[in-house]
Amino acid sequence: MNRSISYQTIATLIDTGGKKRSKFTSYLGLCLGVLLLLVAVQMFININQLIKDKNPRKNGFDYISITKNITNQNMGQDNRFTPADVAELKKQPFITDAAPLISNQFRVKASAGNIIPFSTDLFLEAIQNDFIDTLPPNFSWHQGQVMVPIIFSADYLEMYNVFAPAQDLPQMSAATISTVNINLECYAPYGFQTFKGNIVAISDRINSVLVPESFLTWANKHYGNAENVPAARVFIKTTDANSSELLNFLQEKDYRINKDKTKFGRVKQILQAIVTGLGSFAILVIILAMLLFSFYLQLMIARSKDNLQLLITLGYSPGWLSKTVSYKWIPVYGIIIGVALLVAQIAQFFFRHSFISAQDSLSPWLHGAVAGLALFLFVLCIVINYRLIKKLLYKL
Amino acid sequence: MNIVLKQVYPSFLDKELISHSQIWTKEVCFSASENIQIVAPSGSGKTSLIHFLYGLRNDYEGNIFFDKKNIKDFSPEDWAYYRQEKISIMFQDLRLFPQLNGAENIEIKRALQPFHNAGEMILMAKDLGIQNKLQQKTETCSYGEKQRIATVRALQQPFDFLFLDEPFSHLDEMNRQKSMQLLQEEANRRKAGLILADLKPIEFFKPHRTLYL
Repeated sequence: MNRSISYQTIATLIDTGGKKRSKFTSYLGLCLGVLLLLVAVQMFININQLIKDKNPRKNGFDYISITKNITNQNMGQDNRFTPADVAELKKQPFITDAAPLISNQFRVKASAGNIIPFSTDLFLEAIQNDFIDTLPPNFSWHQGQVMVPIIFSADYLEMYNVFAPAQDLPQMSAATISTVNINLECYAPYGFQTFKGNIVAISDRINSVLVPESFLTWANKHYGNAENVPAARVFIKTTDANSSELLNFLQEKDYRINKDKTKFGRVKQILQAIVTGLGSFAILVIILAMLLFSFYLQLMIARSKDNLQLLITLGYSPGWLSKTVSYKWIPVYGIIIGVALLVAQIAQFFFRHSFISAQDSLSPWLHGAVAGLALFLFVLCIVINYRLIKKLLYKL
Repeated sequence: MNIVLKQVYPSFLDKELISHSQIWTKEVCFSASENIQIVAPSGSGKTSLIHFLYGLRNDYEGNIFFDKKNIKDFSPEDWAYYRQEKISIMFQDLRLFPQLNGAENIEIKRALQPFHNAGEMILMAKDLGIQNKLQQKTETCSYGEKQRIATVRALQQPFDFLFLDEPFSHLDEMNRQKSMQLLQEEANRRKAGLILADLKPIEFFKPHRTLYL
């Protein structure tokens, strides 16, 4: 077939007039639908971006402490986690790992000697080492060792520094607290034994007084005569503390979590539901617009039927005709989707501008995926158009 | 290219009508560069035969082969190829675009697979005396003028066979002669064959064979 032949050769034979209103309505519908979809996808990305930045993460994981919900109904029962509970947590696809926090089953009393005249009953907890954010190399204990390394919660240190002046106690920095010698008195029914406690690190993640797991297991057995003690608290490691599956699972099991860590998760869930709804509506609008346009195309082919039939009789290939006729709409689709993309870009710019707190974490430009989606829709429109015209022409 | 008809007959014609035919239900071979005259009275299926050969209808029994390929297996794209390169046609009912003028009607065929340039096309129109009809909408032309426009259109492409279905029915003797001469010259240039179907033998046409349908 002659390569220089173009749509112009046959333009006068294709009746593109007729229902102009339905043509322009479908253009407008398509433009609005595409705009809605692009904005919905961009908002979905924005929400993810904003909420991700509210969560300080280590190595891409969130660590959250969970407990069983204590209510008036269940307060008499044992509300601790059994090994089966922990195993079930570990099995969930959205939980990377789970570790129980073992607590002391005997009485512990801490005092800081003469420099800081302070003495208190204390609780000790232990967890497997890979859940600890600040793990020094000397955080270990073996039987017979008098020195017990302690990892102290940063929150507790802050609390201590709040009440210390009123008690005539010196305030402590994180660095100096490691120099304080703590006497740990561990009580058994037959008497007590004193260990030397030394704060070797401060933890932001775990609100507790942590000792090596080997020490607490030994001490529980030795002083409290308790083995395989159920844990009141379990730490879970997850890639997304705000994932809806995780939140739904915890809710279903009636586990309590640190609300601070997941409060954005609920907001995110609601916002994402709204945006997903908007996206679905947009897809519906696009489908309706394309349907309307397909009616217009069918009408156009029907009105030009005799001419198209004669062109095919004269030797015009139906494939070439389909391509040439459908490519006529490439600029139209280009303009429609280009306008939608431009308006979505302006919307993104204003969205970022109107949220001062979002300015650091949000890009003023549309995400690459949105531009990719626009391109995909453009190609999709052309392909659908081509296939429809081809189908109609082959029927002639 | 050659065309072979094997036991072809229209499924809608009376058996009585086809029993004496030299084409229907027989095996017939047409070779390119061979001029064939097909003569038959009205209603014996001349136009149907031309339409079978051009792929417009397939309500026939038997098989037609283009170079050993059964044309019943052709796709629309195959037909487009043959109609651009191998076979041309002049319809009895002419099939021009009425809203286009003579030149546009010819050009729409020429643009597809040009055998001649636009200048040669105008010269042909001049030869047939329709140069002043080139800018006139064909719906306002007489049937004879339209017939000559259709003749020029059919000659704008390469072909091995040109099918002519009562091509001179509305022409006077002089114009018949001119048209026939042009068609024969153009067929010779392409070393192609003419297959002409008409009610009676055409006096200016020198066929290699005459077959009675």
